[in-house]
Amino acid sequence: MKIEILGTGCAKCKKTKEIVEQAVAELGIDAEVVKVEDINAALDYGVMITPAVVIDGDVKIAGKIPTIEKVKEWLS
Amino acid sequence: MAEELKMAEEVKCACEAAIIGLYACAGGSNVGQMANKVAVELTKQGKGKIMCTVGIGGAVSGILKSTEGTDEIVAIDGCPLICAKKSLERAGFTVDKSIVITELGMKKGGSLDLEESEVNEMMNKVESTLDN
Repeated sequence: MKIEILGTGCAKCKKTKEIVEQAVAELGIDAEVVKVEDINAALDYGVMITPAVVIDGDVKIAGKIPTIEKVKEWLS
Repeated sequence: MAEELKMAEEVKCACEAAIIGLYACAGGSNVGQMANKVAVELTKQGKGKIMCTVGIGGAVSGILKSTEGTDEIVAIDGCPLICAKKSLERAGFTVDKSIVITELGMKKGGSLDLEESEVNEMMNKVESTLDN
């Protein structure tokens, strides 16, 4: 499973990455978490507001920090 | 460098001030083109962020999720058919403000090319509408 965190390195992006990594660790799943700061990658997904979380190519959220419960729901 | 700055402006960070999503119909008429021009100019002025309205109808996940991430949704339609507003509502979004170009005095029909004077005149009207 590949999880991409799209963002420019701002505070909300960093927090989003922390939450996603925590969810992955707590679920004990095998997933690659990647921080993507290339704006073109966001545009390629149609994402116009960051931070955003993309799991295996599917955009799950944009412009908001997800809750850990919501991330676990996506990963389950 | 200029290109990098241009690209950076195309994606908004939610750490910034409230994000106002601008959804223009960009329809095949003079007023539809004016709606798009208004969204472009408002974006350049920092008064909102032009979004991809067609992606709403196409249910493109990145665009739908980006819309969920906005703080305010403004539909800018050319005519009373209000296609942009209807598309947003059909996708389950609540439109906070609706602007209809014909209601601001521009008649539908005529050339697709917009005159600078009519764009300036429309921008003044739109800005007044948004301020109220």
